Amino acid sequence: MALPRKRVNPQIIGGLVAAIAGGLVLIGLGIRAREVEGGLPNLYFYVFAAIALGASLRVITHQRPVYAALYFILTILSSAGLYLILAAEFMAFALIIIYAGAILITYLFVIMMATQSPSEEEVDVLAEYDLQAREPLAAVFAGFLILGALSVMIFTGASKLPGSEEIRAQAPHPDHMLQLLPRRVERVLQDEGLISGRERIVREARGVLSLDPEARTAIVARTVDVDGDPAGGFIPGSEREIALPDHLRARNVESLAYDFLNRHPMTIEIAGVILLMAMLGAVVLSRRQVDIDDERKRQQAERRLRDAEEARL
Amino acid sequence: MVSTFASMADFLAPAQASFPEAMGSVTLAHYLFVSVAMFAMGLIGFLTRRNLIIMFLCTEMMFQAAGIALIAFSRFYLHHTGQSFVIFVLTVAAAEAALALALVVLLFRGRESLNADQWHSLKG
Repeated sequence: MALPRKRVNPQIIGGLVAAIAGGLVLIGLGIRAREVEGGLPNLYFYVFAAIALGASLRVITHQRPVYAALYFILTILSSAGLYLILAAEFMAFALIIIYAGAILITYLFVIMMATQSPSEEEVDVLAEYDLQAREPLAAVFAGFLILGALSVMIFTGASKLPGSEEIRAQAPHPDHMLQLLPRRVERVLQDEGLISGRERIVREARGVLSLDPEARTAIVARTVDVDGDPAGGFIPGSEREIALPDHLRARNVESLAYDFLNRHPMTIEIAGVILLMAMLGAVVLSRRQVDIDDERKRQQAERRLRDAEEARL
Repeated sequence: MVSTFASMADFLAPAQASFPEAMGSVTLAHYLFVSVAMFAMGLIGFLTRRNLIIMFLCTEMMFQAAGIALIAFSRFYLHHTGQSFVIFVLTVAAAEAALALALVVLLFRGRESLNADQWHSLKG
C-alpha cells in the first residue's frame, strides 16, 4: 500500500512523492468503487480531500508558524467541505465558526504574542527551532508505522462492515424525525392551508405524531379546545388523512439536536465540566502574571509618590 | 504479520463485492483514508516540529482527522451519533487549545523561546 509521507529537506521532492502517493491511493479507491458501482466519481470529494491533505502537509512543513496556522485554517475549511458532502451541514458550519473562527484565531494571537520581536536589521530571521526538524527519520518511521497500521485496520475492518442495503434496511426513515416535531409540522401544514386552525395531528403513544414518513401522510383530527391539550381533546370521528407537502423534510440540525439532547444528555454535562475546568485552568495559569503586574503597579505608584515628594521638597 | 499482508492483498484484489457503497461512488474507505493520512501527518508533525505552538496545532490536526472519520461513519450508518460526538470533540479541542495556549504563553514568558527542546528539564 503506497502510503508515504515526507518531512523537510528535499522539500519539493518529498511533497511530490507524498502528493503522488496519496493521489494514487485515492484514485485507486475511486476506480475500484467505480468498478463496483459505476457512475461518475464525486469530484468535490477529490478536490476537498486534495486541498485538505496538501494543506496539512504544509502545516507540518512550513517554517513560519503563522503560515502553518493559516494553512491549518485551509485544512479546516476543506474538511468542512467534506462534512458538507457527507450531509452534515450543521457540523460543517460549526466547524468553520468554532475552529477556523475561534480556535485558530486564538492560535494566531498567541503566535504573534510569543514571537521574539525582530530587531531592525534582522527583519526576516526565522528562529532556529523553526528551521530544523527534530528526529525527522524516526518521526517519519513512526508516522509510517501508524499510517500503515491504521490503514490496514481500517480497510480490513471496512470490508467486513455490512453493505449499504442492510444499513438502509435497518436505519429509520430520514424523515421519521418529523414524528417528534409537532409544532413545526403543524405550522407548515397550516401555512400551506392543508389543515384548519382547529385541526391537529393525532398523537400516538408518548406524544409521537401519527405520521407515516414513508407514505408521507399524516392523520389529522379536529380538537375541541385549541388552547388546551390537543391529545385529550380530539373529536372522535373527525380524523382524515392528508398528504404532506414535499418540502416538509427533517433537517440535519433537527435530527442532530434530537440525537444530541435525547440520546446523549450526559455529553452536555461532561462537556460543561470540561469547559469549566479549562476555564479554571486558564485562570490559574495566568493568575501569577496578574500578581506581578499588581506588584509592578504598586512599585510604580510608590515611585511616583516619592518623586512627587522629592519635587515638592 | 503474514495475516496482515494477506489481508492487504485482499484489500487490493479488484473484486470485492461486499465493499460498502452507502455514499455513492465515493465510499467510506475514501474518507477513512483521508482521515488516516491527516492523522499520520499530525503525528509526524507533532514528533518533528520543535515549535510548541506548531506541536499543539498538530494535535488539533489529529482531532480534525478523527472528526472526519466520525462524520463519515455517521453518514455511512445513517445515524447522527457520530455528529453528536464531533460536537464533543470540538468542545474538547477548544478546552485543550485554551489550556495549551495559556501554558505556551507562560512558558514563553519564562524562557523567551518556543523551542520545545529547551524544556527538557520538565521531564521530571
